[in-house]
Amino acid sequence: MNWIAAALVLILLVSLPFVLMKFGKIGEYWVWVSTEMIIMGLFAMSLNLILGFGGMVSFGHAAFFGVGAYTVALLMKKASVPFYLALAAAPLVAAIAATIIGWFCVRLIGLYFSILTLAFGQLLYMIVFQWYTFTGGDDGIHGIPRPEILTPTNYYLLCLLIFVMCFMLMRMIVNSSFGLTIRTVRENMERSKFIGINVRSYQWLNFIIAGAFAGLSGGLFAELNRFAQTEFLHWSKSAEPILASLVGGMYSLVGPAIGAAVLMFLKIILQQAHKALIETWAIVLGCILLLVVLFAPSGLVGIYRKVFSKSE
Amino acid sequence: MAKPVLEVVNLSKSFDGAQVFNDISYTVEEGELSSIIGPNGAGKTTMFNLITGHLVPDRGEVLFMGQDIVGKQPFEIVKLGMARAFQRTSIFPRMSVLENVVTTIITREHGNLNMFKAFRKRDKVYSEAYELLKSVELEGMAERQSGVLAHGNQKRLDIAIALALKPKLLLLDEPTAGMSPEERKQTVELVKNLWERLDLTMLFIEHDMDIVFGISQKVRVLCYKTLLAEGTPEQISANPQVIEAYLGEEV
Repeated sequence: MNWIAAALVLILLVSLPFVLMKFGKIGEYWVWVSTEMIIMGLFAMSLNLILGFGGMVSFGHAAFFGVGAYTVALLMKKASVPFYLALAAAPLVAAIAATIIGWFCVRLIGLYFSILTLAFGQLLYMIVFQWYTFTGGDDGIHGIPRPEILTPTNYYLLCLLIFVMCFMLMRMIVNSSFGLTIRTVRENMERSKFIGINVRSYQWLNFIIAGAFAGLSGGLFAELNRFAQTEFLHWSKSAEPILASLVGGMYSLVGPAIGAAVLMFLKIILQQAHKALIETWAIVLGCILLLVVLFAPSGLVGIYRKVFSKSE
Repeated sequence: MAKPVLEVVNLSKSFDGAQVFNDISYTVEEGELSSIIGPNGAGKTTMFNLITGHLVPDRGEVLFMGQDIVGKQPFEIVKLGMARAFQRTSIFPRMSVLENVVTTIITREHGNLNMFKAFRKRDKVYSEAYELLKSVELEGMAERQSGVLAHGNQKRLDIAIALALKPKLLLLDEPTAGMSPEERKQTVELVKNLWERLDLTMLFIEHDMDIVFGISQKVRVLCYKTLLAEGTPEQISANPQVIEAYLGEEV
């Protein structure tokens, strides 16, 4: 990794909200968008721990995003827990959910694993949807309090700080013996068993770690919007990090975050250009995916590496 | 008297009612270099799958170093000291040749739950892996992506992965399958060399009679769901039953 480039990007990201805030209302809107990009980037990176590094395609990752969001919403709204504690609880509760769901899912492989994650995701969605007295059903939970110190700029900076910390943490995991083992299992599951790897345990643990990071991003997202709603757990939410990983590059750590930001940016530009154009988003997205899959299977990071001829 | 490393006792297995093995028993002794032969479909690879825990026998026992291993998972049996190389080469294609071996050594040695230390900083593991690649003559390709190697080299990497486990018993499933005659000769030399140099018990499956009779101390013939014969290469090639059942077709 190129440290100078990383430092430059970080300086740019830190100064971004201060520049944007000079542009009044529009600027504030873009600070909000940038914050969402960071959160969605974290969500996409969390999925990629199992998708790109683990080779497990989960269609139910939004379950943990949603659990994190509802943890923050319920703790703050119903138990008046302060924001920072509620936020700390989000990855823990999501990890517990991932422990239970993962225990079942890693028993299956390939397509069956994917379908089971989808089923569990939708099951959780239905529970949140139906349990009106606890979760507010399809009304969701609104009016999550916001600590005064968290102005849009400060909240952006908090999210950026958490993102960078998570990035460093995931980077450490991916480069560790554990990370190597996860890649080994992805490359050849059968052979992994015959070099003495307890495949299921490692997949399970990886699933839990990914779930915890997703829960944290969900918690941040709930506070950003100041509400939590069932849509956060819906399967279409699970698709977002998959698409982001594809576009950004599955075989790198930061790729999915870049993919998430780029996709969101394009979508909003389209929306800003003309309200009616948002109807065509699905077509635009389809074309982007087509191009990526056909010509750049390693995504934007893959293109970058090719241009600067860096190997993996 | 050498002690037994692997004991197969009254082993039976059938798939969907079709019997593959009926009451097979044999013993592999420590330090032995022996082989299993048999016509196509005799169940040679199935035999390995039963020994390594990939399949569970219907009846019978498999003892490894005196311990019953039936019902154990493959990864547990590996940890007891049994390693295997595959007929259809089985490596980690998107990783470098060196990493293929490194990940195996890390699995064997350190356990891989460590999330804090970068695996690239494990110098000892890297130097051991490099030495191992030397022993199978792949050190020149250490940094290449293993998936793009020629078939013969992948096959040798497969063996290197198995050796990286420092096994007591090494099972080789047709180590020369799909190779040119020249590569075959080299691989046979390599296998024999490794066996002589390392403190290893080897059991291999092979198609090619010249290879089997050339290097095995003991040959076992699988045929008609049973162990048809067992003995030295000389005894086997003189056994009328074997000649009729198996060699007869080819000679």
